[in-house]
Amino acid sequence: MSSRGGVHRVLPWVLFVWMAVVIWAAFLWAPAASGFVGQSSRIVFFHVPTAWVATLAFLGSCIASIRYLKTRQPIDDIRAQAASALGLTFAILATITGSIFARIMWGSYWNWDPRETSITFLLLIYAAYFALRGAIADPERRAAMAAVYAILAFVTVPFLVFIVPRIYWSLHPDTIINVQGKMKMSSRMLQVLFASLAGFTGLASWLYCIEVRLERLRRARQHEELI
Amino acid sequence: MWRFLAEAAAVFVKDLRSEFRTKVALNALGLFAVTTLAAVSYTIGPYRIAEADRPFLLSALLWIVIFFAAMAGLDRSFVKEEDTHTAPLLRLSADPLVVWAGKLVFNLVLLAVLMAILVPLYIVLMGFHVSSPLALFAVLMAGGYTLGVTTTMVAAIIARAMTRGALFSVLSLPLLLPLMIFLIQGTRAAAEGSPDGVTQTLRAVISLGGVMTVVSVILFPVVWHE
Repeated sequence: MSSRGGVHRVLPWVLFVWMAVVIWAAFLWAPAASGFVGQSSRIVFFHVPTAWVATLAFLGSCIASIRYLKTRQPIDDIRAQAASALGLTFAILATITGSIFARIMWGSYWNWDPRETSITFLLLIYAAYFALRGAIADPERRAAMAAVYAILAFVTVPFLVFIVPRIYWSLHPDTIINVQGKMKMSSRMLQVLFASLAGFTGLASWLYCIEVRLERLRRARQHEELI
Repeated sequence: MWRFLAEAAAVFVKDLRSEFRTKVALNALGLFAVTTLAAVSYTIGPYRIAEADRPFLLSALLWIVIFFAAMAGLDRSFVKEEDTHTAPLLRLSADPLVVWAGKLVFNLVLLAVLMAILVPLYIVLMGFHVSSPLALFAVLMAGGYTLGVTTTMVAAIIARAMTRGALFSVLSLPLLLPLMIFLIQGTRAAAEGSPDGVTQTLRAVISLGGVMTVVSVILFPVVWHE
């Protein structure tokens, strides 16, 4: 067994232990924030990291798409596709966790708050990305058109994530890094939040690697079937 | 520069002549807009909305009608080239950016015609009181440009795909939703006579339009030659 193979085998277990500790700390070690109904503030340890990972994945999809247009290597198209799928999945998770918080705090799962509206638009944009992929038969043309659309889609992300929620009045709690540039959290909460951000980033990276490998195998199999 | 403008104008004039022969896009846009306006006017009319809600709801309805009408015809310029198999000849005879500029101007003219007919009709039929008509004009111009530049790029993408008609709306609308939110708020601000709201909207819409223009200029040659 090579040292690289050994690291690859150990890393998922490290991630498993890390996430288990994060979940334990989120519920039992970090204090609940004041000004929120019951223990509802604890959802921040899961909601913020899922939203962070979704944004990171969309950025990854945009970078891989730019690389594809420059290099025309199928691996970059696979990377863009995997990152978009991951971003879509984590955006759905961020929507679900945000919706649970909205039900507890504001009495309704959905209020069309600017942040809820933004995430819905993001979900629609990346769902459209996959609709485009399904509508082009030629693999090279599909990859190029999807790459162009992914770049166009990412251009709207700053408007949806940063501008829409800041221009219009929102029920959403103040973002962690606010306009004063200060973190309004206790030390323990911050530690758990950053640990969760690291854990979710690791989890997403692991899932991304698996998806890229699976897609490569799928395409190789399709290629063999064609031959 | 002058050569670029002359060639783009030639592409625009070619599209305009071709459009006046069949009037497919004009008919689709115009009839869709008028039919939707008639439906909205009949079902809601000028008096069924409470006075306090009028600026916001009438602004939202106006942009919904414009956006959906745009979806009915703005893909024609590129789809027609593929359907009639004239795209390869255009690829050989003109620079990609010339084609993009010509098609963009054609779509902007279509949108301007649509708005020139639809907006006054809407204001009359729905009893939409606009405190600041100049501000509304600025919002319509900025919104029309950003709508045109985004849909031109998406039209170029879907022209190379199957199931083009449905795909154009599926790909365009999600990209245009942030623009629609900005424009609804800006139109409401123009109706209420709030200059701050209009300025805020114009900043967001013009920056989105600017970013879309830059991205389109960079990416259009890829789409066109693919």
